[in-house]
Amino acid sequence: MFKSLLYYRYKTALILISAISAITSIFLITAISNGIVDMYSDMLKTDGDIIVTQKGVADTFFSDVDRGLLDSIQNIDGVKSAQGVIVGAGSIGIVPIAGIYGVTENRMQVYKLTSGAYPKTDSEILLGKNIDSILKSPKRVNVFGQDFEVSGVYESEIGFENGGVVIGIEKASQMFKKSASFLLVSMNDISSESSAIVNKIVPLSDNIEVKSTTDFIDNYNQFKIIKVSGGVIASISFFMGLLAIVSIMSIMINDRKYEFGIKRAVGIPKYKIISQVVVEVLLLTFISFVVSLLLGMAALDFLQSVDKFQGYLSGEIDSSLALIILVSSLGMSAIGALIPAMLASRVDPIILIHQGQ
Amino acid sequence: MIRAKNITHYYGAEKILSDISLEVEDGSFTILTGESGSGKTTLLSILSSLLKPSSGELSFDDVSIAKVANIDTFRNQEIGFVFQFHYLISHLSVFENIKMVTKKSKDDILNILEKVGIKELAFKSPNELSGGQKQRVAIARALINEPKYIFADEPTGNLDSINSKNIFEILRALDATVLVVTHDKSLIESTDNVLIMKDGEIC
Repeated sequence: MFKSLLYYRYKTALILISAISAITSIFLITAISNGIVDMYSDMLKTDGDIIVTQKGVADTFFSDVDRGLLDSIQNIDGVKSAQGVIVGAGSIGIVPIAGIYGVTENRMQVYKLTSGAYPKTDSEILLGKNIDSILKSPKRVNVFGQDFEVSGVYESEIGFENGGVVIGIEKASQMFKKSASFLLVSMNDISSESSAIVNKIVPLSDNIEVKSTTDFIDNYNQFKIIKVSGGVIASISFFMGLLAIVSIMSIMINDRKYEFGIKRAVGIPKYKIISQVVVEVLLLTFISFVVSLLLGMAALDFLQSVDKFQGYLSGEIDSSLALIILVSSLGMSAIGALIPAMLASRVDPIILIHQGQ
Repeated sequence: MIRAKNITHYYGAEKILSDISLEVEDGSFTILTGESGSGKTTLLSILSSLLKPSSGELSFDDVSIAKVANIDTFRNQEIGFVFQFHYLISHLSVFENIKMVTKKSKDDILNILEKVGIKELAFKSPNELSGGQKQRVAIARALINEPKYIFADEPTGNLDSINSKNIFEILRALDATVLVVTHDKSLIESTDNVLIMKDGEIC
């Protein structure tokens, strides 16, 4: 049954290359966009149960919250700790732009040291392991126009944090002219409802929005934009791959018209010819899926190891993502195969007779 | 019995067949001949149910083809067709070329190849066969489903006289109703049932 695919090996190879390119792109686009969202989500989820941002400002990058509220929040019953964070970006040594995280002293411990010590003064900073590698482990570094002494190097499970630096929030506040990008609040009992504490934080200022980090992440516009853009690009890749499969398979069907013409002449039902072509396309798609899965995993491993990307290109292909892509690839291929399959089933056996005249 | 009644066929505006009526007895061997363009291939296509006529009626054993519920199954079970250029798939073996049109067992396929005298070539590529051997494969493929009716369109058109004679001997010996289009005079002269076509009509 599949000998024809081997015989028309160049066209079969073209179909495989098209499908592998499309499915690998889908794997990478989806995994990387999910990875970026997951990294930021993990950062917020693991470091706090409640997030306080500036009222009416959708992006934490532009949010400015009075960190003077930290003391009041810390005194609320059920609150374990309250931390302030400034998220900024600027030049770090020869790197033109990288993440600069200004944090309160009680958040510093979140960053696990691989060498050195935590900053003791405002003139000291921690370097993420990726940027430390890019800058070749400097003793001093210029951050956004100011010189700092490197007190230590940290490694974070949140990939992109490894591409930035951590400084005291006072210094970051002077750099970025804001009090705090957001405040993170941890509860004593993480299994309890956060709404009671949220309701106690809200009256503290007219200029804040308070949400559980889970609610915040679910409604964060940037995440929605990343996911929608990723979905659109993945869909385009999918469509292009599908178009290539349909086109090349249609050409192959034309080359094989004698095969289908003979089958029609001897009364092989149309549905059997259609199912033959669909099964051939499904087989090619499955092979493409397996190759794409391996390529995608290898590519993600490689991207994560490249210092230049500062840990931003992260992501993994888990079993649920693989399953979704497998099912949708096979589903779309089956639909795409119908056009060449219909062409095959409609080959008129009369052409065989007229070719002979 | 094959019965055609008032068969007329057009390709576009051109009339190819004009009001043809004929009967072909069960188990008979009939030759259809005539000049090129006389309409014999078109008539063979219609009689074998590959082509629907513009008008007229075709019936097999008094059952109109128009009333056959599944024409594919009918053609698969009842009709075998041998093309002039045999149309074997070059990347499939002789055995696979026959297997692709039937559910019959390996033994059945080897038996039919033995019947046409090429069992030893079963697993060869068609590219390794002579013209006569290829046509025998095409006949084996047409016979594998044990059809009641065999239609052959110039099956010896590209063969030398010895191979032509051999192929006709195979076709004559079949236990089926056989209708063959040919120009071969020696074969026409040795056959009793000969239909001669001219300008879309049977003379």
